[in-house]
Amino acid sequence: MEEQTPDVNSPGGSKSPESNSAGDPEALKGPEGPPPENPKAPRSKILAGALMALLVVVGLYFVNRYWIAPAVKAQTKGSDTHPLAPQFSLTDITGKPLNFSDYKGKVVALDFWATWCGPCRIEIPGFIELQKRYGSQGFAMIGISMDDSPEPVVDFYKQFQMNYPVAIGNERLGELYGGMPGLPTTFLIGRDGRIYAKHVGAYDPSVFEAEIKQLLEGSPADEAANFHLAGRGPGDDKIELGNPAAIDSEIPGIDLTKLTADQKEAYKKLLASQQCTCGCKLNLLKCRQIDRQCSFSRKLAQDQLDALLKTKRNAAPAKQL
Amino acid sequence: MRIIAWSGLLTLLVASVGWAQENGSVVEARALMATDAAHPNSTIKLAVLAQVAPGYHINDHKPSLDYLIPTEFKVEPSDQFAVANVVYPKGTLKRFAFSDIPLSVYEGAVGVGATLQAGKTVPPGTYTLKAKFAYQACNDHACLPPASVPLTVTIKVVPRNVPLKPVESDVFQRIKFE
Repeated sequence: MEEQTPDVNSPGGSKSPESNSAGDPEALKGPEGPPPENPKAPRSKILAGALMALLVVVGLYFVNRYWIAPAVKAQTKGSDTHPLAPQFSLTDITGKPLNFSDYKGKVVALDFWATWCGPCRIEIPGFIELQKRYGSQGFAMIGISMDDSPEPVVDFYKQFQMNYPVAIGNERLGELYGGMPGLPTTFLIGRDGRIYAKHVGAYDPSVFEAEIKQLLEGSPADEAANFHLAGRGPGDDKIELGNPAAIDSEIPGIDLTKLTADQKEAYKKLLASQQCTCGCKLNLLKCRQIDRQCSFSRKLAQDQLDALLKTKRNAAPAKQL
Repeated sequence: MRIIAWSGLLTLLVASVGWAQENGSVVEARALMATDAAHPNSTIKLAVLAQVAPGYHINDHKPSLDYLIPTEFKVEPSDQFAVANVVYPKGTLKRFAFSDIPLSVYEGAVGVGATLQAGKTVPPGTYTLKAKFAYQACNDHACLPPASVPLTVTIKVVPRNVPLKPVESDVFQRIKFE
């Protein structure tokens, strides 16, 4: 709300009735008259207001610079150790939408599993128990089944009386989460949306519980700097996520964004002219497009791209000359 | 203590997974014929020799539990050759941390046999059949997605008066075709 102040700079004073009466000595004496005003008071009020506004602006600047901006930046990028969990939207096996964004601020255990996988099945009762125990404290369990069809998953879901959402995953989601070297693979995600642990293989529920407890104490705004793994294998240390540009590329698994349109065509022709060594009897381009999981064609295609980019880099200075 | 034990086992697991990634597959397989050629209107014996990486197993063709994916050798029949029979070895019963009961699995070297029937009027020449060895591998703590090794079977058909020579007979002696 804006405060009205008399015009103290005009020689005749303000033309408002209030300022007229302020200039009347009799009115000053009357019991119902306005309170006496010190002509210097409005000036000091303005100065105080200006100072206050200045302080607020400076304060906001520092709050933004040292608190909000770093938090937003970190939230957008995530640290190298604890990258941000890739977002996804799926439909769970009961037909409900499963949007990862709905779990913002919660601690999430994201379990990639399959019904044909014995080590995956043995973990499920433990996950059900964790959901029961910590569900009301901001923890959520999510299952991503890598089964080809939902039927066995639905049967399993009913048989084990699973109490958390399960959706059928896909290769793209698996690749966004860095690929699945084996199942089960479980990611522990903090309230801040970062991945703190990637566990490949079946673990004792106590490992997950210890990590969940730590993450529940965290805040959505800050990285849980003191988080430590409760159990680990050598492959669990580094969390590497997939590159969306490579995953969604027209040559699956190969990031073509550094190539011009002409170079891309030349690269595709090069791959089409070479045989894949995986035993598929296809050329590299076809093998990559048909079987995105083929590690042979992925490596060969990536080697060709690296060589092409190296040639491009070496040729660039010569061109400038 | 329990956690330490699990971590130790997981170390083994991840080391094995690392092997798998380095080689592209935990199962290597090749197909071979019992003889260097075949006659028209004859029975042809085939074998697939698979090698499962140490630490891993693949499921028996007749798995111990209904949710397990069986190992299968599939040969695409053609106009000249029909698939008569496929025989699988008996698995080894083994206990795993993830199962209450012992599971019948294949480990190490696995030999699967197949019998083909050549058509009565197949002209002499070289023919190729497509086949695949399908499996789903696990170790004690994790599983790999179902996979298959694509195979090509090359069959040389020769006239009846041309004698046939046995090939790798020791392999075929170990497979019970009956």
